[in-house]
Order: sequence, then C-alpha cells, then structure tokens
Amino acid sequence: MRVGNEELELKDRLNLIETMIAEGRRTTESYGWTFVLWGVAYFAAIAWSNLSHYYLAWPITMVGACVLMTLIIWRKRRNCGYRTSNTTKRAIWATWAAMGISAFVILDALGFSYRMDQHAYPHVFMAVMATLLATANAASSIILKWKLQFACAAVWWATVVVCCFGTARQSSIAFLAAMFLCQIVFGVYLMIREARARREGAHHA
Amino acid sequence: MPELPELNPVIHGKLRLALLSLLIGVEEAEFTWLRLKTGSTDGNLGAQLLKLEEAGYVAVEKKFVQRKPQSLYRMTEAGRQAFIEYVQALKQLLGSAIGGQE
Repeated sequence: MRVGNEELELKDRLNLIETMIAEGRRTTESYGWTFVLWGVAYFAAIAWSNLSHYYLAWPITMVGACVLMTLIIWRKRRNCGYRTSNTTKRAIWATWAAMGISAFVILDALGFSYRMDQHAYPHVFMAVMATLLATANAASSIILKWKLQFACAAVWWATVVVCCFGTARQSSIAFLAAMFLCQIVFGVYLMIREARARREGAHHA
Repeated sequence: MPELPELNPVIHGKLRLALLSLLIGVEEAEFTWLRLKTGSTDGNLGAQLLKLEEAGYVAVEKKFVQRKPQSLYRMTEAGRQAFIEYVQALKQLLGSAIGGQE
C-alpha cells in the first residue's frame, strides 16, 4: 500500500511538472491585430497617396500606425500586470522590428532623395515592400515552424516576381491582393484563433 | 540492483516544483504572473521563492516600473541543472516502482 501511495505521489509530481510547463508556455498575448492594423495602414497609405499624390502620405501613415501600435501594446502590458519573455518571442519581435526599421529607412530615403517616385516607378516601390514583408513572414514562420505563415511569405515572393515582370496594373492588383490575403485575412484568422485559444486554454507556438 | 536516486527536497515541495516548472519555460517572470499561474497566496509564494533563491535556483531582480515595485524572477543555471536532475531521478524512481510491481 505504501509503495502504491509513493508511486501515486511521484506520478502526481510528474503531472504537475507537465501541467506547469504547458501553463508557462501558454500565451495570453495576441498578435493578429497587428497584421490587421498594418494591413489597414498600408491600404490607407495607398489610397491617400493615389488620391492626393501627397508625397508625405506614406511616411505619415506609417508613423501614425507605429505610434498607434506602440500605444496599444503599452496599454495591453499595463492592464496585463505580468510579463514573461523568452528567446522565441524576442526573435519574432526582432524580426518584425528590423523589417519595420528597414522599410522606414529605405522607403523614406528613396522618397526624399527623389530617386524613386512611387507614381513613376510603382513596380520598384511595391517590389521593395513585398520583399521586406516576405522576408519577415518567412523568418517568423521558420522560428515558429508555422506553415501557414510560410505560405504568406510565398504569396509575397510571388508578388515580388509579378512586380518585376508585370505591368503597373498587374503589379498593383497582385500587391493589393497579397496585402488583403496576408495582412487582413491572415490577421483576422489569427485573431479568431487567439480568441478561441484563450477560451479553451489551449496554446499556440 | 542499482541504487535508487534521492529526490532533491528543495525542489520536491509542490509549490516550489510548480514554480521551477513555470520558470524553466520563460526567461523571466513577474511575481504577479507566478501568483496567477500557481493560484498561491502572496505570503506562501514569497516564502517558497525565497527558499529557491537561498538554494541558488532562482535569481530575483527588484525594480520600480511607473513607481510600482516589480519583482522579476529567473531560473539560474544551477536551478536548471537541479531541475533536470530532479526530473531524471523522478523518472528513474517511477520506472523502478512500475518495474517492482511487475
């Protein structure tokens, strides 16, 4: 009987370890909204720059989206009351932050130097953006071992090819379609998945 | 017959084991997060974390964020090693218990 009780206690400890490790990895953080936010920001920037031809449309929209995202993250963290970090989270964050800084630097530098007019050379502008988004999505998908996000990267790479070989109209359609699929649809899907995971206590990645 | 390993008494306590299991999956965690995950009281949690700290298994960093005190806990290398050894010993003991019944 004593041996049976000891065995039960040992099994109980092993179960506790498994449960707590799973609990520690479970994330209540959400990232889907960031894809949607940036998708909407890109669409807003495209619409604004095409309708008004205002040369600061892109920088203003991008800085606005960046400020809005920072405010939302800050508010979420403050309300959350706890914080955890691990290498995976930092790697994902680094990938997207590096992509954002690169996009900001190259597009602003090209725009202000008048070496790339987005209206005269829309292919180049869209190819650069698509390349950056493909790189960030691919790196993130490899870190998370997530095939669906790698599919998003593949869509962006296909867009790069279309932008390099297609007409301005074909490039624009491909870019807008990729934006809708990989930012809005993917973001909404992620938000639904995160909400379900929070409800069920399941976890992703 | 091989000698059965002893279980580390510092880690064997339920709450301390739960805390180390949580901390092994994250780089650092706030006191409030550990309290939420374990469902423990402030007093008990603080006491168990202090025992782990005294054993050199966790390190704590105390700071103020927006004028509020914040305690960040992280597992030390010694804690990681002791936890791995504990799990191995536990599995070995369980294996021998199951083997002994057969």
